[in-house]
Amino acid sequence: MTLPLADTTFVEATWILVVKSIVIFAVIFAIVPMLTVLERKLLGRFQARYGPNRVGPFGLLQPLADALKLISKEHYHPRAAIPALYYIAPAIVVFTGVATLAIIPFGNVQEGFGLYGIDVPIGILYFFAFGSIAFYGLLLGGWASGSKYSFLGAMRAAAQLISYEISMGLALLGAIMMAGSLSLVSVVEAQSQVWYVIPQFVGFLIFMVAGFAETNRAPFDLPEADAELVAGYGTEYGGMRYGSYAMAEYIEMFVISAVAVTFFLGGWHGPGPGFLDPIWVIVKIFAFLFLFMWVRATLPRVRYDQLMSLGWKILLPLATLNVLVTAILVTVT
Amino acid sequence: MIALRNAFYSVLALIVHLLSLAGLFLLLQGEFIAAAQIVVYAGAVMVLYVFVAAYVGAAEEPLWEPIPGQRFLAPLLAAALLVELAIAILGTGLSALDSKGPTLPGGFGTPTQVGNLLLEHFLVVFEAASMLLLVAAVGAVTLAARSRSSDEVDRVEEPAA
Repeated sequence: MTLPLADTTFVEATWILVVKSIVIFAVIFAIVPMLTVLERKLLGRFQARYGPNRVGPFGLLQPLADALKLISKEHYHPRAAIPALYYIAPAIVVFTGVATLAIIPFGNVQEGFGLYGIDVPIGILYFFAFGSIAFYGLLLGGWASGSKYSFLGAMRAAAQLISYEISMGLALLGAIMMAGSLSLVSVVEAQSQVWYVIPQFVGFLIFMVAGFAETNRAPFDLPEADAELVAGYGTEYGGMRYGSYAMAEYIEMFVISAVAVTFFLGGWHGPGPGFLDPIWVIVKIFAFLFLFMWVRATLPRVRYDQLMSLGWKILLPLATLNVLVTAILVTVT
Repeated sequence: MIALRNAFYSVLALIVHLLSLAGLFLLLQGEFIAAAQIVVYAGAVMVLYVFVAAYVGAAEEPLWEPIPGQRFLAPLLAAALLVELAIAILGTGLSALDSKGPTLPGGFGTPTQVGNLLLEHFLVVFEAASMLLLVAAVGAVTLAARSRSSDEVDRVEEPAA
């Protein structure tokens, strides 16, 4: 049996792939509510207040209340909006976020099936392909809302995404050249001796900064800067459509953390027997998610011109230099 | 005949078209080309189109017909082309339909093979193309820089006049 995306690597039966897709969906949709409550509790701690503590023990049922509230809200669209595009835009963002998760390896092939959605030979290009489709979710949402705040937010999101996607790709290129493969599973396998965070430290830093910008998180949350743009591209959204945008942001955070773990922190490598591999990946991913929340609570939002000059004048040359040096070193050794 | 009067919708249609093209590449086992197609065309080139179309606005251009009766003639000609293509395709007897297609060498369409082709087999052509792009980029920067400096000259001259 040949699948278009998997015919050169480890090929699995169709029913396994179907089960995996469902598992990926179920896992990420269970993790997102956990992240929302974790973020709100942590922000409360960082700001010396309680955070949610009314719903359930320690406020742990808060996401359930949030979700019920969002789902039961009225379906509404502004008169100036273009309904079809306005409705489809949040779905695009969620779809691309979940689709990207398919290539994140949570472990090597164990007992006949790989602990990842699919090991594509184009590897990280898959991630970038879906990332560039996700951009249309934000842009269509902002444009189709028919409001100036939404439109400005969408335009900011667009400019930010294309500025930082290049640095992000170049930052990963160093690790890719060291591993000699685009496939995420091979990259993790190549890190069995030393994690790439050590030889590729510059690449790691660039990737993290670009990752914050790609996910529109503080201090780069200019597309939804509430002081200037109300809520940017999400201004006119309500109910679960707004919830989808929020959910997509958490999914993208998870994906960026997972890619960082895969490329720089040795993926599933860690002490202990093989069945602990997925646990290690999850632990490392959550360390990154904690970093995301910590940064949000610590750093103020940058100005728009600072964001652009950081991206084009510092990160991009630095990333290019990193790639050149890595290329020379890989060729020499 | 123009089905979508709004330029923004036309750009969206082009994006969907490019995504479908990537799907066709996937069916032809060209996964690298498919990903590059999405990242470069749908992701980078079309973003600029979307920018322009969104900024210029959703003004529905009143379109005039350069050829009288174009609106009625165009579907007829399109239908004629469809019939002709259908005859040509059915004329082959669709003999390849039941076969499995050509046998592909292992690793066909993977980044490794594409890289080998571009950087070893077709190195000169590849470098020539990249030189061409470099020249185009430098030219664009020069043009943009020149127009900006002429703006500044205008601004300096204004108070004097």
